[in-house]
Order: sequence, then C-alpha cells, then structure tokens
Amino acid sequence: MNLEKSNNSHTYWNPYFGGFLLGIVMIFTFYLTGRGLGASGAMKSSVVTIVDTVAPTHAENNAYYSKFISEDKSPMNTWLVLEVIGVLIGAFISGGLSGRIGWRIQHSPKISSKRRLVFALIGGILFGLGAQIARGCTSGAALSGMSVLSSGGFLTMLGIFGTGYVAAYFFRKNWI
Amino acid sequence: MQEELFTSGRNIPNIDPSLEIWHWPISVYLFLGGLAAGLLFFAGLITVLGKEKEYPTSVKVASIISPIALTLGLLALFYDLTHKLYFWRLYTTIRIESPMSWGAWVLLIITPLSFLWVMSYYSELFPKWKIDYKFLDTFETFLQKHRKNMAYALLPLSIVLGVYTGILLSAFNARPLWNNAILGPLFLVSGLSTGAATIILLAKSAKERHLFSKIDLGLVILELGLIVHMLMGMYAGTEVQLEAMQLLIGGEFTLMFFGFVIILGLIVPAIMEFLELGGFKIPVAVPALLILLGGLVLRFVMVEAGQITRYLY
Repeated sequence: MNLEKSNNSHTYWNPYFGGFLLGIVMIFTFYLTGRGLGASGAMKSSVVTIVDTVAPTHAENNAYYSKFISEDKSPMNTWLVLEVIGVLIGAFISGGLSGRIGWRIQHSPKISSKRRLVFALIGGILFGLGAQIARGCTSGAALSGMSVLSSGGFLTMLGIFGTGYVAAYFFRKNWI
Repeated sequence: MQEELFTSGRNIPNIDPSLEIWHWPISVYLFLGGLAAGLLFFAGLITVLGKEKEYPTSVKVASIISPIALTLGLLALFYDLTHKLYFWRLYTTIRIESPMSWGAWVLLIITPLSFLWVMSYYSELFPKWKIDYKFLDTFETFLQKHRKNMAYALLPLSIVLGVYTGILLSAFNARPLWNNAILGPLFLVSGLSTGAATIILLAKSAKERHLFSKIDLGLVILELGLIVHMLMGMYAGTEVQLEAMQLLIGGEFTLMFFGFVIILGLIVPAIMEFLELGGFKIPVAVPALLILLGGLVLRFVMVEAGQITRYLY
C-alpha cells in the first residue's frame, strides 16, 4: 500500500500551503481560546515547575520565576502546556502518515552529528533567552502578534529573521 | 465538644465525609491485576484455539509478566492492609455476594496457576539455564501435558479476576462514582487492553503484532463506549451521581481523566494503531506504552475520585 511512502523522508508539503494552514490554525486558536498560540511558554512552565520543585525558596525569591508560581495552582496547569502536548501528538501522527518516523540527525554532510547537536543546543539556549527577553517567541510574539497587527509582533519578526540572515553568514559553513 | 457531629453520625474519621483509606497501592494493584488478567486470558485463549506456534509471544514471553504483576500487585495490597496478620481470615469464608471474597479466592487459584504456566514453558523460555533435577523435569513434562487444561481454567478465572478489580469498587454503595454496574466490564476491558498492549510491545513477528493491534483497537473502542455509558448513566442519575460525574467532566480530575485516559490513553493510541494496521510506519511501542499509561491513570483517577464522592449531605 505504501511502498512509495516508505522512502519519502525528505518530501515535505509546499511551505506556502503550510503557511496558509498555519494562518487558518491561528484563526481557530483565536476563536477557541480568545488569544494567540505560543510555543516557548510550555518550556518556560516546565522550567519554572522544575526549579520550584527542586529549590522552592530560590524560585520564590527570584523575580522572574516568582511571577509564575501561585499557591494553589501548578505552573504546568496552563493551556500552553496542553497545546504543546497536542503538537507532539499531531506531529507524531503526521510523521507516521508520511513515513518519516525514525531516529536520525539531519545535518550537512560536511559536519558531524555531534557538531550539529552542539550547535542546535547553543542556538536553542540563545533563542530561549531571546524569547523571554522579547516576552514571546516566533509563534507567541511574532505570529500571534502580527495576526492582531501589533507593532511588537512585526518588530519581533523582523528582529528574529533579520538577525538570522546576518548571523547565518558567519555560520553558513555548518550547512553548505 | 461537638455533639451535633455525634447525633448526626458524621464523626467518622477517614470514612465520612470522604473516604481516605485507599491510597496508591490499591490503584497499582488494580492496574497490575487487570494487566495479569488480560495476559492470562490471551495466553489461555491462544492455547485453547491451538495457535501457540503462530502467536508464541502471547503464550510464552508475555506470560512471564503475569506472575510478576500478580506478585507485585498482591504485595502492594498486603502493604496497604492495616492488620496485615489477619489477611488469612479472607480464606475462612466463601461469600458469594462479596466481590472481595470472589477476588481473594480467584487470586488464590490464579496466582499459582500463572507460575505453573511459566514453569511449563521453562525449558523453552530459558534454554540456557538447564535444571539438573530429574524431579523438576518430570514436573515440567507433566505441566506441558496439562497445558490445555490449565488454559481452560485460565479463561474463566482471568475474566473473573478482571471483572473483580472493577466490582470491588462498585460494591461500595455509599460512593456514587463507584456504585455503577459499568465499572466491572470497564475494568475488565481496560485490563484486557493493557494485556494486549503488553503483547504488542513484546511481539517479535508482524503477524502477532497485527492480530493484537486489531484486538486492542476493538477493546479501546469498547472501552470508550463503556466510559460514555458510565457518564450517561450518571448524567441520568440523582444529584449525588451528577456531583460525582462533575469530578470527571468539570472538576479536579478532568485533566487527568480526559487528557491522560481518554485522549492520550485511548484515542491517540487507537489512531496510531489504526494507521499502523493500514501500513503506515509507526513504532508500535508508542501506542502500547500510551495504553498502559492510560490504564494506570484510569485506576488512579477512579480510586482517588471515588473516595471523594458521597451520598450524605
């Protein structure tokens, strides 16, 4: 049945069509939840929960963590965490439908897997820091912000992708 | 002194207003008991049908789990007892109207039987660990000869064990969440489903995996139907039932029940198993583990939430 599907690990949807669908998802998110979607919020909640469990006094005294801790409610009890669980389920099913599920590390043939992972980790840490300084990541600030025509959203988008273009020049050897 | 508490009969610590007697070992035991019931049922069924050669995992490798699960479950149960030394009193009586009596006697038979079952496959399961005692060899041959008889005994016993894990709770007529007739079948089906998931997890051939995926898919659909049935029954009930249902559909346990039992524990693995059967490449360990997790969470939710619900106001 799926002979042609079992080997298409590099065939993806048309990105413009994907973007269009993402826009539709945004409309539905606003309709259902009354606000935009976000991705980094779940990570933040997990970090806050872990810090609050391991070192509660530190979390309470910290100006940043204490904002998200309340007596009767776990920081994990937010819809962003559930949204990310939904994203994982959806991505898993979608990967299964396209025959893409498997263990592999995608990287340029010129670099090693280890190098790719180290750079991805560094990039992820920088992005996480940036997302908290900007009070939102690509989805939470830029995408959701732009869809309500917030100037902050446009600035975030320009900031993220503009800096990305500039920085890419220095790190291009990792990919090409 | 608070006399009104005595005259109203409400001063019963740990029992009223909410039961605070059953803790995590009970949930764990109900899960392990259901899992063992499922595994032993499938081992018995495959043997009775004479398909051991085609589906070896369900009769051999997976059946190692059942005595382990039963032993750990019974240890958990024993650990939870307040008067541990009096447990034998369960065996001084047979009360046909008491689920606990049914459970105690079934466990007394099915636990040794599950050990004997594994022993009958000893030389096939552990070919490297030879036993030198002639006596044990003859015993194993004796067991092998009577394997089919054991299978015939296991079928009804495992069903009773699976149902008992549910009606143990529904026999509490003072706890409206538990006191419904669906709980027995629901826990049986959930136990069978976790058993099938374990076999899927351990199966080596695609044929066996697919058979148990199909069985599991059917069981998951049945389980969803039973859950809908249970909620509808409560919805059509009196105020106490409505209040009990509220814990599941709009209260403390909603996230656990809908998030981890219904969505992550039943619907998502069902979709994955369905896709896998359709030929899509999906690692079956993921839906199997989700089913097992969902089964465990279902026990925790039902045991914890049931103790809070009550009749008196």
